[in-house]
Amino acid sequence: MASNIPNDNLTLPAKWRGLAPVLVATGVICVLVSLGLCYFAGSADDRTAGVRVFFHSYLANYVYCLSICLGALFFVMVQHLARAGWSASIRRIAELFAYTLPWWALLFLPILVMVLFTNTGVLYPWNVGPGQGLEPIVESKLSYLQPSWFTLRVVIYFAVWIIAARLYFRMSRQQDDSGDTEITLKLQRWSGPFIIMYALSLNFGAFDIMMSTDPAWFSTIYGVYLFAASMLSFFAALILTCYMLQKSGRIEKLVTTEHYQDMSKFQFGFIVFWGYIAFSQFLLYWYGNIPEETLWYKHRMEHGWQYVGLLLIACHFVIPFLGTMSRHVRRNRSAMAFWAVFILCVHWLDLMFLIMPHETIPVSLMMIVAHLVCWVGMVTLFLAFFLTRVGETPVVAVKDPWLPDALAYQVGP
Amino acid sequence: MSEHKAKKQPAEPKSFGWMAEYEDENQLLDASRKVRDSGYTRTDAFTPFPVHGIDEALGIKPTVLPWFTLCAGATGTTVALLMQWYLNAVDYPYIISGKPFASWPAFIPVTFELTVLFGAFTTVFAMLGLNGLPRFSNPVFTNPKFDRATDDRFFLWVDSRDKYFNSDKVKHLLQESGAIDVEEVREDDSPTQVPRFILTTILTLILITLIPGAIVLNMRNSKSGSSRWQVFFDMDFQPKRKTQTRTTLFADGRVQRPPVPGTIAVGELELSDPYYLGYDPDQVAANELPIASGDSRLVSFQEDDGQEADAADQGDGQPASAQDESEGAEDQPAAAQPDAAQPDAMAAGEPNYAWLTELPEEANEELFQLGKQEFEQNCAVCHGFGGYGDGLVSQRALNLNQGYWLQPTSLHDDRIQKQPVGRIYYTITNGKGKMGGYAASLKPKERWAVVLYVRALQRSQNAKAEDVPEGTQLEAAAP
Repeated sequence: MASNIPNDNLTLPAKWRGLAPVLVATGVICVLVSLGLCYFAGSADDRTAGVRVFFHSYLANYVYCLSICLGALFFVMVQHLARAGWSASIRRIAELFAYTLPWWALLFLPILVMVLFTNTGVLYPWNVGPGQGLEPIVESKLSYLQPSWFTLRVVIYFAVWIIAARLYFRMSRQQDDSGDTEITLKLQRWSGPFIIMYALSLNFGAFDIMMSTDPAWFSTIYGVYLFAASMLSFFAALILTCYMLQKSGRIEKLVTTEHYQDMSKFQFGFIVFWGYIAFSQFLLYWYGNIPEETLWYKHRMEHGWQYVGLLLIACHFVIPFLGTMSRHVRRNRSAMAFWAVFILCVHWLDLMFLIMPHETIPVSLMMIVAHLVCWVGMVTLFLAFFLTRVGETPVVAVKDPWLPDALAYQVGP
Repeated sequence: MSEHKAKKQPAEPKSFGWMAEYEDENQLLDASRKVRDSGYTRTDAFTPFPVHGIDEALGIKPTVLPWFTLCAGATGTTVALLMQWYLNAVDYPYIISGKPFASWPAFIPVTFELTVLFGAFTTVFAMLGLNGLPRFSNPVFTNPKFDRATDDRFFLWVDSRDKYFNSDKVKHLLQESGAIDVEEVREDDSPTQVPRFILTTILTLILITLIPGAIVLNMRNSKSGSSRWQVFFDMDFQPKRKTQTRTTLFADGRVQRPPVPGTIAVGELELSDPYYLGYDPDQVAANELPIASGDSRLVSFQEDDGQEADAADQGDGQPASAQDESEGAEDQPAAAQPDAAQPDAMAAGEPNYAWLTELPEEANEELFQLGKQEFEQNCAVCHGFGGYGDGLVSQRALNLNQGYWLQPTSLHDDRIQKQPVGRIYYTITNGKGKMGGYAASLKPKERWAVVLYVRALQRSQNAKAEDVPEGTQLEAAAP
């Protein structure tokens, strides 16, 4: 079987890998610059306002990268769960994305430290210590939203994600040497339990990390919303990575047009799924029209955020929906690379829309610049993590028993 | 080929094309490419399972079907949006939970459904159309060998209607292509007429379905002197007495039996007890008499009205205690109170019952708070928190300039202020005008609590100098 595998170039250029330290430095500097911009853009009377903006910006851009990795982790597990053959040649890239999760755990530390050791409530308004005259609805949630219990939960979420990501990467890597098919069977067996734990941790993680920035508000579909956005951005990142690798002369024969079409179909599907979930959440709250539920949307319908909302409807749903509908577009690598970049941009807008709008957070040009700089910083860090993770690792699982299937795979008309 | 023709009967059917048989899909794919490269376009392949790459090997052009789907989907979207906008905002504007008439978010689910519906139906029917379906028979079926196309053989077909079709050349090409068998398919010369027995069956079925209709039609247009045919005699004539008829079984000759004095049927307490009604039903007739004079209505068959009313009061614990508190009210005012309200009530054609004039519940702080809560939850949206008929719903309706919207009554109207508590309770229970009854939402105690709260509101908004407690009067007057 192995003889059927075309002899592709599977390792990254050494030049790229050398960039990693530079990228880490650039990323950290960008994040710090963003902190400075936020600090001085806030009013001089109330310096915590700037810090508040920075932490929101940090969280949004942090989740931007984290969501791609979480999407990758789910993709790896669900391919094993479904015993999918077609994806064998692109799964390694997803495994590598997911395996950057330990570093993302590290980058959550600033927020965790802030929650544990301060009680200013700059990011999570519930984190102000007891008896601070919170609204009754928030007060009643304080037994759950409590710094130590919050920390414990976050540790559990990251533990689940990191253990899964590590298992799937390490085992797949072992198979590169041994070609042992038992490994595939073992990973298949583990995928079910891990997906259940993943679903729970992603949902509650979304509630804790993101939704509790507005603790009075609640939406049971919030975790699913983040999941939809994660999968969508992951497929965009996957398409873009494949495209870049092929541009640089890697995996030219192992990833075929058929794979592009299927990755694009998944991306298309999750564009629709995102629209469905986002609209479902809105429709129910709009219909019910209950103040405690609609307040979240009210924040998003003033101070210019209403245009961001309309932009999301257009750019996160309608335009890419129509744009990637055609088979001819999906089989065109350059076109799909464009749409992948497009999706990755609107994904940022989506996270900004989820986390930033709040009455205590002003909107100014300086702030927008700060968010963009923070975004650049996080993405640079993401690139650095990815390149470090890849190292000498081949970007395709060369001895995966499904690989011949993946190469012979055809989508059909 | 020509000698082949000569052997058969003179009316040799026209050639329909050539069919080649292969043992595996790779031979089929190779042959398909050859045929395609020879320029034939009216070709087809028949395989037991989907063969990857057969489209490309046969040179089949991408289908236009997706365009049908796209256009139908877009039509569905447009139709759904226009339809809902027209129905909800133009043709029959109606306030639904205070939303604007053209509520686009509410239109989206229906729009989604219609888009999918139009798209799906069009795809199916366009697919059938593009494939020339439904078609009951095809000449290729005449060859029994072809049955193996669903089992273990792969077939390649070149149609005689192809632009470049040349029977000998095609045969040669297919034989060269590694086929294990090449055969000419001829037009199906079996009779095209539908078999007689099918026509007969269909005709018979149609006739049979006409029979019930014909019978009904006949019955409706004819007269008969004979009596009805009783299928189940003992169901049509049961050994029982119908209501409102006579019997010899009882001394009074009535079939319907009155309740035993001193009892109340299950669930009927609410029909007879002033606590539930807001008025004393036993007094109704007396008050109504002047309105409906000469009314032959039988007031009661009971031998002793008063006795029964007393018994009813004692029969149930809760209302009995309520009754006790309002006893004083019930005894005297029945005659005194209607005098005041009667002219208004009669003028408006309103019921003129013996309204309770005092609250059958103890007017305490707890009841007041209950009334406040229920009023603010149920009544304030229309009547306003102050009771002036200026609730949010009303404000919104007035802003929309709805011609048919009547502003809710102000509870501080002179008319309402003069109403006895029982009358207000009655309105809450049964509704009035555009206002629906609240019997389903509020328990009797809650309704009385609301009455208490309404009274308190009226008192608070129409306070007089003597309402101010002793000793604080001067301070109040000073500024």
